[in-house]
Amino acid sequence: MTLVVMRNVRKYFGESRALTDFSLTVNSGELVCLLGPSGCGKTTALRILAGFEKADAGTIEVDSESIGSVPVEKRNFGMVFQDYSLFPNMTARQNIEFGLKAQKVSATQRRTTIDRMLHITDLDDQADKFPHQMSGGQKQRVALARAIATSPRVLLLDEPLSALDAKVRESLREEIRHLQREVGVTTVFVTHDQQEALAIADRVGVMSNGQLEQIASPRDLYQNPQNSFVAKFIGSINRIPATSRTDGLWNVLDAILTGSRAGTELEHADAGIRPEDITVSATHQESANAIIEDSSFLGPITRVKLKLNGVTTVYADLMSINATPFIPGQPVLVGVRPDLENTIIFS
Amino acid sequence: MTKFFKWGFLVLLALFFVVPLLAMARFAFQSVPVALLTGETWLKGWSIDPIITASTEPAMWSAARTSALLAVFTIILTLVLLLPLAIVTEIKAPRMRPWLTALTLLPWVVPPIALVVGVSVTFRTGAPWFLASVFSLVPFYALWAMPFTYRALDAGLQAINARTLYEAARSTGASFPTIIFRVILPNMRASIVAAAALTTALVLGEFAFASLLLKETLPTFMVNFQQSQARAGLALALTILILTALVIGIVVRTLRRRGLNVQTTGL
Repeated sequence: MTLVVMRNVRKYFGESRALTDFSLTVNSGELVCLLGPSGCGKTTALRILAGFEKADAGTIEVDSESIGSVPVEKRNFGMVFQDYSLFPNMTARQNIEFGLKAQKVSATQRRTTIDRMLHITDLDDQADKFPHQMSGGQKQRVALARAIATSPRVLLLDEPLSALDAKVRESLREEIRHLQREVGVTTVFVTHDQQEALAIADRVGVMSNGQLEQIASPRDLYQNPQNSFVAKFIGSINRIPATSRTDGLWNVLDAILTGSRAGTELEHADAGIRPEDITVSATHQESANAIIEDSSFLGPITRVKLKLNGVTTVYADLMSINATPFIPGQPVLVGVRPDLENTIIFS
Repeated sequence: MTKFFKWGFLVLLALFFVVPLLAMARFAFQSVPVALLTGETWLKGWSIDPIITASTEPAMWSAARTSALLAVFTIILTLVLLLPLAIVTEIKAPRMRPWLTALTLLPWVVPPIALVVGVSVTFRTGAPWFLASVFSLVPFYALWAMPFTYRALDAGLQAINARTLYEAARSTGASFPTIIFRVILPNMRASIVAAAALTTALVLGEFAFASLLLKETLPTFMVNFQQSQARAGLALALTILILTALVIGIVVRTLRRRGLNVQTTGL
């Protein structure tokens, strides 16, 4: 079981800062996703952990042993790349065998391991095919099998699903999750796709500008974002005018909520409310506070676009069965889901 | 309309290459002078005697042997020098690539005459034996072929995404020699063959260096031979041209059939 700790890691490429004071702890057997827009430093963090890049400052420890100066090939980490990077001159079996040979595993042991890897990645019938004879999903499964065949201490995945089409991406991400649990390997998964991160990670680390903004379980990250960047980056969020109360709570539409920070007296700010936390009810012209502008049907939910008090655009995600009666131009009363307690206050 | 122009252009291009070759073939293998060519005589006087004349010339075979050996040695020297350079640049110092691409073009900036004069002045005093051997041409040819061979090898490295393969192999724990010999080189077969084929074509056609250094290679032999035996000389030139094209064609086809993609981008 492996514990990975990166502490105050810094990395510059010339003048540009890729990582500024980056710290991350990955617990044993955990799957952590690093999520962020392109250029946020997530791949750099992974490549430093893998040993392909050298950090300018900071420490990297695996099981309390500093590995900062250990070369890539001695770290015993498994890695999967975005573009598969299978060896084109080798069959699936030989690709998986490559690392085992490098680690001087005996021939019989190799055969057993390869067969097991082929089996758990569901590639039994692809064993003797060359990469160019396989589909993208199959290639990435071979890459995964190759990475875990050597029983690595840590598994690193660099946007492994980005090159695949949507359907394969979804099924393979579940497979990766399943496999990771089964093998129990400590894993760092880099992606720019938030759905992917939320779906498979134990914890998600949201990054921007070379720093970790917040690291938390997917649910926590979504429901209690610690700052406005995380709130805006994960899912979509409405900015709704809020007024602070004397008791430090906030008035948001018809609700009284605790904010991410206490307001000074009668301060005006914006509260972040998720579209699914907005309620919309049909009402008379006099009591309405919003007008329906548009609505788009997305299957189970319908996303309704509203104009609040004639100025603020608000999106509400309603269960499609409840949303059907609304038509553009209709006056409505917009509120906040009654059981909502917290909100983030944008400053 | 565009289709018409496209085809028209292709036909023109084909004529540009094919007409001189046909004229060459007619001159070499038909004994009727152009002035006497009529509808009745154009099928008369054809014979393959000129090529027999050329192929029974012992000097031709010795020159051909020299050229073949020069091609082999040039390929070896080129690969020994450029293969490690291209690989190491790509996987260890990719930022140097643009520099190298520009640098490998330099031999073509210096005209052969300047190169030969410079080198022979240097060696005549220090190591005259070097210039005496016909194989003193090998370094010149390796240098001369460099813009093509380097690009062929570099295109191959780009095509297989060598840097990621290297990283992937390292992450599995493989040593540097293992990665080079079991991953990088096997996947570069196609571009190595392409580089070798280009080198061969260049060596078989190179005249300036050989002539300036007074060596008898196939091209210098042909120029001399044509002066005494015009028709046999042209017959020989045409035969060599066709043979070279055939050999390169067969090599490329064999590689393609084995699933290898022959990259000539950047050439």
